[in-house]
Amino acid sequence: MLKGFTRKFKPLEILTEEHVEAIHRGILDVLQETGVRFESKRALKLFEKNDCQVDWSNNQVRFPPALVEECLRKAPSSFRIKARDPKNDLIIGGNTVYFEPGVGMQTIDIDTWELRTATRKENYDGVTILDALDTVHFLSCYCPYFGFDNVPSVMAMLESVAAKIRNSTKAQWSGYQGREVFVIEMAKAAGIELLGNIICSPPLTYYGDGVENIFRFIEAGFPIDVCGGGTIAGATGPATVAGSLIADGALNVAGIVLVQLIKPGTRVIVQGGAGPQNMRQGSPAFGAIGGSLHNVAYNQIFRHYKIPIMDAGCYAGSSKRIDYQNGYEKAIPAVLAALSGANLIGFHGGMYGELSWHPFQAIIDDDVAGMIGRFIEGIKVNDETLAIDLIEKVGPIPGFYLNKEHTRKWWKKEQFVPKVADRLTYPEWMKTGKKSCLDYAKERMDEIAATHKVAIPLTSSQEKDIERILKEARKYYKEKGLI
Amino acid sequence: MSNEILENLKKAILEYESEKAANLAREALEKKIDPAKALNVMTEAVRQVGDGFGRGELWLPDLVGAADAMQSAMPIIQKEIERKGMKVETLGVVVVGTVFGDIHSIGKTMVCTLLAAEGFTVYDLGVNVTAEKFIEAVKKYKADILAMSALMTMTAPEQRKVIAILKKENLRDKVKVMVGGGSLTEEFAKNIGADGYDPTAPGGAKLARRLLNK
Repeated sequence: MLKGFTRKFKPLEILTEEHVEAIHRGILDVLQETGVRFESKRALKLFEKNDCQVDWSNNQVRFPPALVEECLRKAPSSFRIKARDPKNDLIIGGNTVYFEPGVGMQTIDIDTWELRTATRKENYDGVTILDALDTVHFLSCYCPYFGFDNVPSVMAMLESVAAKIRNSTKAQWSGYQGREVFVIEMAKAAGIELLGNIICSPPLTYYGDGVENIFRFIEAGFPIDVCGGGTIAGATGPATVAGSLIADGALNVAGIVLVQLIKPGTRVIVQGGAGPQNMRQGSPAFGAIGGSLHNVAYNQIFRHYKIPIMDAGCYAGSSKRIDYQNGYEKAIPAVLAALSGANLIGFHGGMYGELSWHPFQAIIDDDVAGMIGRFIEGIKVNDETLAIDLIEKVGPIPGFYLNKEHTRKWWKKEQFVPKVADRLTYPEWMKTGKKSCLDYAKERMDEIAATHKVAIPLTSSQEKDIERILKEARKYYKEKGLI
Repeated sequence: MSNEILENLKKAILEYESEKAANLAREALEKKIDPAKALNVMTEAVRQVGDGFGRGELWLPDLVGAADAMQSAMPIIQKEIERKGMKVETLGVVVVGTVFGDIHSIGKTMVCTLLAAEGFTVYDLGVNVTAEKFIEAVKKYKADILAMSALMTMTAPEQRKVIAILKKENLRDKVKVMVGGGSLTEEFAKNIGADGYDPTAPGGAKLARRLLNK
């Protein structure tokens, strides 16, 4: 099992108990009075069978509060998800914190900062880098890229899952829009579980192909991510944080109810990641602090429900470059996510929403995640760490600690040492070519590419199965006229 | 009296009051006010909001508010203009919509508002518009420009499909096609045979002028 990080102190709470109750009441009320639109007959029938009020004229479902609360109780508060290497299994929930990478439609040309489609090699190398980075515990859907050269869009998800199975032994999630049929088969061939996802479309809507897939995932016995559609405050949700918590919360809770009605006790993780609208350009304001206000509160509410939480508010900022802005717009939300009880944080490599991804950014983010992880592990306090005897023995100057056994034993446990941060003295920095963390990230990337091998390669029969499933999928989509 | 109604109609749009704007439009027609005059004050109001947005003084909620108010009054006035067979002064007729499979409306609404502010006659078909509906509207409104929006990479190819149908129906030479949306590039626009692309809404409105040499 991958340990990840453990938050050793009380989570950050931004809401009072009364606030949490008020938001919970709001969620129940919206679910009961207005309900949620589900464009899935199968889901609607199931809701109706379980005493929800289904309006078949507009596919809107109204939920009895008792059923909602019962379903929230049925979801386990923590669960294991199986990776290809059991060492990489995750136990998600409680005060554990794991990281997963961000994702990008395209890669960036580092000289011009312009977007371009990634090559097949870049996608596979990207997976290798993510496999090598210690703070990447889980692999996101479509990471690192949504697609790459010469892959028809209908095959992108399948090729992405295959790349991750081949070049990594870490656990991963994926699968909707009918692609789940093939990716579930691939997962079975590789002996892993996939985290499936139900996808909502705020406000208060689930479309068919974001819902139908989870029936298949649950049938396969896999866990489900109830994927926040990323409510945009002021566009797809109220402009107020409190209001968007209710709108976003009601939508996600409806998803959890569906999962628990399909099969009680199914493992779920709920995904937050809302934020304000950019009121100039009309895009989401990626990296805005309003997103953290929402997500920290959201984490508090779902901790109250005892449902594991994924925080998708730290994938990327609004900057198009790997620069100071991208750093602060990702790091601040990630720190706040980790402090406030997120169990899984989307982070490494993402830039400008999900439009771009770059390995340098992922490698720098490995350091940031390491810093955050070290912080939440907190301070060890015991006789030895308090070091009263030592302080008294060393005394005032010329007393010195660098040569003490206590220092040798403890410093590495206490400090986090970043791998690509520039920490040179000024003269050394001048002499060694004035390198920045970007230069060091490139060096580390080259080193990983040259040396890192996936711990357990696929067996030849597993590889054959993956290739066969991809072939079947290509044939299927060709026949449907989608390739 | 008629001036007061027109002033109030303009004010209703400037204050984003949809219901009021629609009521005032109806009242204007009841009082036999020239619908072309009503159209002018509405366009003037939207132009003011568009200019404010351009200067950075107003924000998206303002632009969308004005668009909604205008949209609620516009069909009432337009219907009367059509009924009377009047010719209105316009830079051209633009049919706008977000393509099939895509429900993103913000960019499209911004473009509609700014096109109206420029002085175009705009028919907003909404979101998730099928190729057939685009073609039907181009024919019905005798569009000078067809403007299609697609935010997602997966839906962008729908624009290519519409252009292909335009060709098939011998309409391609009669209408300029402009495209926009988050996932688009200049290269993609050229590739699918569009006449123009701009990454921004204000740029889109200017592009429409250039396409018609206005």
